[in-house]
Amino acid sequence: MAERRAERLLRTVEGVAYWAAVAPALACLPPALAYRAARWRGDAEFRYRSGKRDMLICNLRQLLGDEIGLADARRLARQWFRFASCEVIDVMRLRRRARALRRLVGIRGQEHLAAALAQGKGVILCSAHFGSYDCCFSLLGASGFPVTTIGRWQHNYTAGLSSAERRFWDLVYARRLRRHRHRPNIEPWTGRVEVAARAAAVLRANEVLTVAIDAPPLDTDRARAVQVPFLGRQAGLLPGAVALAQATGAPLLMAFLYRTADYQHQVLEISAPVLVDGDTAAAFARCAAAVSAAIRKSPAHWAYWASPGDLADLGLIPAPRDCAPAPGPALLPDGGIHHDGSADSVPARG
Amino acid sequence: METIINDFISREFVQDKAELPLSNDASLLDGGILDSLSLLRLVVFLEERFGITVGEADLIPQNFASVNTICAYLRAREPGKLGATHG
Repeated sequence: MAERRAERLLRTVEGVAYWAAVAPALACLPPALAYRAARWRGDAEFRYRSGKRDMLICNLRQLLGDEIGLADARRLARQWFRFASCEVIDVMRLRRRARALRRLVGIRGQEHLAAALAQGKGVILCSAHFGSYDCCFSLLGASGFPVTTIGRWQHNYTAGLSSAERRFWDLVYARRLRRHRHRPNIEPWTGRVEVAARAAAVLRANEVLTVAIDAPPLDTDRARAVQVPFLGRQAGLLPGAVALAQATGAPLLMAFLYRTADYQHQVLEISAPVLVDGDTAAAFARCAAAVSAAIRKSPAHWAYWASPGDLADLGLIPAPRDCAPAPGPALLPDGGIHHDGSADSVPARG
Repeated sequence: METIINDFISREFVQDKAELPLSNDASLLDGGILDSLSLLRLVVFLEERFGITVGEADLIPQNFASVNTICAYLRAREPGKLGATHG
């Protein structure tokens, strides 16, 4: 018991040090060095965080079992840890005008975004908890697009965090992302019925509204969820992005940020507008299919592999029991917290 | 004005027709009649019908709690015009 507590404390200290000191320092180095160091940290996490590693492998095999073997699942889990550490460097490279990150990210399909904005109805850019999605939104903002995100700063909503912890995450994480967003995040929560109207105001101003659409619905929103095919199963997701597109006439595009094999460069792929006419659920299924395809293309980018509670809430796996490590009180959630481009709960990563 | 708004909400958002007729005091938010997307549709309707623009600062639950509070909000924005034209 004391050993576990000591281990947990050590992990917390390491997490705080990485976010507050190591990663900011690494981000000032040449990218090849910085991301290599982040990969090493990811490898160390993979090696020593056996509970989380096993949970990742278990979840990967549960959902992609037919497609990957144990060796593949282990490889993907290692890559997941590496990506998580690299994503912290991405956040730090958003400093000033984000040039340090922008020169590492190629954008494919920027013409789709520009053409959609030219219609004058704003653009809904949908993504998922996939790779450096939150940095991606801020990066677009730093590149000159007026970006507002629908999504909560999760440290303000996670139960059990002290005010010092909330302030810490705000300083090391949210502040850096917020700087490049055109307006404050629109943060959905129980009782906040004005969310869609606020989002519509963003679109009316012909700006870019970003959202991650793969988050499990809040309990109070479950009745509005639709069942859509997702990773070969059925997931319950909120089709709000499509409903908003239908209500406002704004084009809806999909965007995914992929890290390349060298770990330092990334490619943001922006799709042509998705057809949103007709039945909302059917149109949303097309968006969910795009998310599903991105995850299959590069599974290690998806944050939710480490979040069995969210996978269960989505209806993708049974409620966690065998795979998950025993929960405990968290000083900092797993040494890192991921914030949300989405409307909903956010897994810890990093 | 109350009649116009009540009719629109009753027609578009009240799922359980047993709740009709809708009282102008009925709680639209706590009663589950309005959710995020239906509020958006309501705002679009109000803007088109009454020729106003609902600013972001006005998108607060208090302004949309009931038909009466919606009307009070609209009247407070355009006291003479809305009362005379649509009242």
